[in-house]
Amino acid sequence: MKRTKIIDLSAMRKIKPSYLVKPITLAVAAAMLSACGGGNSQEVTFVKSVDDCVSNTDFTLAQCEVAYEKALEEAEKTGPKYKSMASCESEFGPQQCLTDRSGSFFMPFMAGFIVNQLLFDRSRNYYGGSYNPVYRYNRPYSRYHDTLMLSDGTSIGKYGKNKFKVSKSATSPKPKITKTVSRGGFGSVASAKSSWGGGKSSSSKGWGG
Amino acid sequence: MLRQDIKQRKEWQKKAAEFGFKFHTMHGETYWDESAFYQFSLNQIENDLEQPTEEIHQMCLEVVNQVVHDEEWLTKFKLPPNQWEFIRDSWLNGDPSLYSRLDFAYDGKNPAKLYENNADTPTSIYETGFWQWLWLQDNVDGGKLNRGADQFNSLQEKLVNRFFDLQVLTPNRTLHFACCKDTEEDRGTVQYLEDCANAAGVNCKFVYVEDIGVDKNGNFTDLDNQVITWMFKLYPWEFMMAEEYGQFLGTNNIRWIEPPWKAVLSNKALMPALWKMFPDHPNLLPSFFEDELNKAANFSSLVKKPLFSREGANISIINGGKEKTESDGPYGDEGFIYQATHFLPKFSDNYTLIGSWLVDDTAAGISIREDKSPVTQDMSRFLPHIILG
Repeated sequence: MKRTKIIDLSAMRKIKPSYLVKPITLAVAAAMLSACGGGNSQEVTFVKSVDDCVSNTDFTLAQCEVAYEKALEEAEKTGPKYKSMASCESEFGPQQCLTDRSGSFFMPFMAGFIVNQLLFDRSRNYYGGSYNPVYRYNRPYSRYHDTLMLSDGTSIGKYGKNKFKVSKSATSPKPKITKTVSRGGFGSVASAKSSWGGGKSSSSKGWGG
Repeated sequence: MLRQDIKQRKEWQKKAAEFGFKFHTMHGETYWDESAFYQFSLNQIENDLEQPTEEIHQMCLEVVNQVVHDEEWLTKFKLPPNQWEFIRDSWLNGDPSLYSRLDFAYDGKNPAKLYENNADTPTSIYETGFWQWLWLQDNVDGGKLNRGADQFNSLQEKLVNRFFDLQVLTPNRTLHFACCKDTEEDRGTVQYLEDCANAAGVNCKFVYVEDIGVDKNGNFTDLDNQVITWMFKLYPWEFMMAEEYGQFLGTNNIRWIEPPWKAVLSNKALMPALWKMFPDHPNLLPSFFEDELNKAANFSSLVKKPLFSREGANISIINGGKEKTESDGPYGDEGFIYQATHFLPKFSDNYTLIGSWLVDDTAAGISIREDKSPVTQDMSRFLPHIILG
């Protein structure tokens, strides 16, 4: 066969007929993509250490070491930060905080990190997500006491299990935000050529070829 | 290779609306034309189109390798000197490509002749990869076409797989898709590629070319001030390089689709360069730079094409030294190339052009454009095809 074998038409529809239920994310049923299902939640494994990672996931030792380092880096960047050791310890417990690399803030020790094993392609040794650090909240009498949470404060469940359901965004890398100083530095040639009154008479034709 | 009439599918326009195919008719003129189709034999597809497509692609890569290392060639290609390093680096890095389309004149009997390579911003991919696929499916299901009918079109499958590979090569980055404002066709094309990338699990965002911003470090930004680190742009490299933000190209950490080295291939100087490096190749037309016209003395008729042009604009034909304009357009400032005249074959009253697609370096299918005029332009009709026998 010289053509695409299967196209999932429901995923290609831009206007969904009312008889169709939720679209499926996949447009092409390629076998290797079968790991990515629909829905917005995913199961992740919580690992406390490199050893824990090796024994409880499909990751190799090398991959677990990378994962641990990346999670630490992420914690440094996005983890909860406090102005005093006391305020940090009041939430995460005594001896549970350290100063960040700049030395000006206090942050809790990372209790571990989460990985979604389905995002790991063993044959290519490639992980398609981010390693999000996890913290163990410890304020006595708080309803979140002994809860595992992400940097942004999202609770993922009580400490003690190692599988949790979290939203898909929890393992997607965080985008970098900056301050834009100007806009509109691209597009001038196209607009100059389209004001020319010849072939490109339409507004619906573009700049491809 | 035959052209056959066929009944149009009942209410296909309604279906087009459902699938978001908005540009099937433009200015009251038919663009998607399913009143007929072309039929090929498997032998024609595999030996006359698929194989030459992959071979020519490899030849094109050899041209890139030659051009980026040689200032004389870079000058001949009229590539801006301040972007030479940017182009060369992307080639030396091995920046991966997504797709391209080679345009051929092919009549079903003689070797297909390469007209040009749309390597940077090829369009009509939605019509090819999805819409004509659906047309075949519907007609086979409806008993209008033979059950054994196939199509040379694995484009969508290959695109999804390629996006998966590109993500492996470009981990943990959001892919920004960009095209110009106010063009339904480009927006539709980009949306389709975005759908394919999504299917491969790539994290996608969209920004219009005109809305791209820059921060104080020269990073490009989208409207949410998010730093752009990986971008698909349906906007020609030669425009970007000449524009205000062209100065930041190569200074910021962005992976590009198509990569900057594609600027060498989307340039018509490719044609005389190929002819020089691979003279008398059966799939090439004799082609010359302006300063080589003495070599073209044997040819009674030449087609003059601008170095940079899109959609068949600014083409003229020179017969016995007399120039006749075939199509107008805004291009030509950078100079011209000359190609031995080789008209498109005619089927019924139509001149027929074959677009042959590549995903990375693998041939992935064809699209067919028809026109009453010998120069295929942006309004030329798109016709589906089948393989039978």
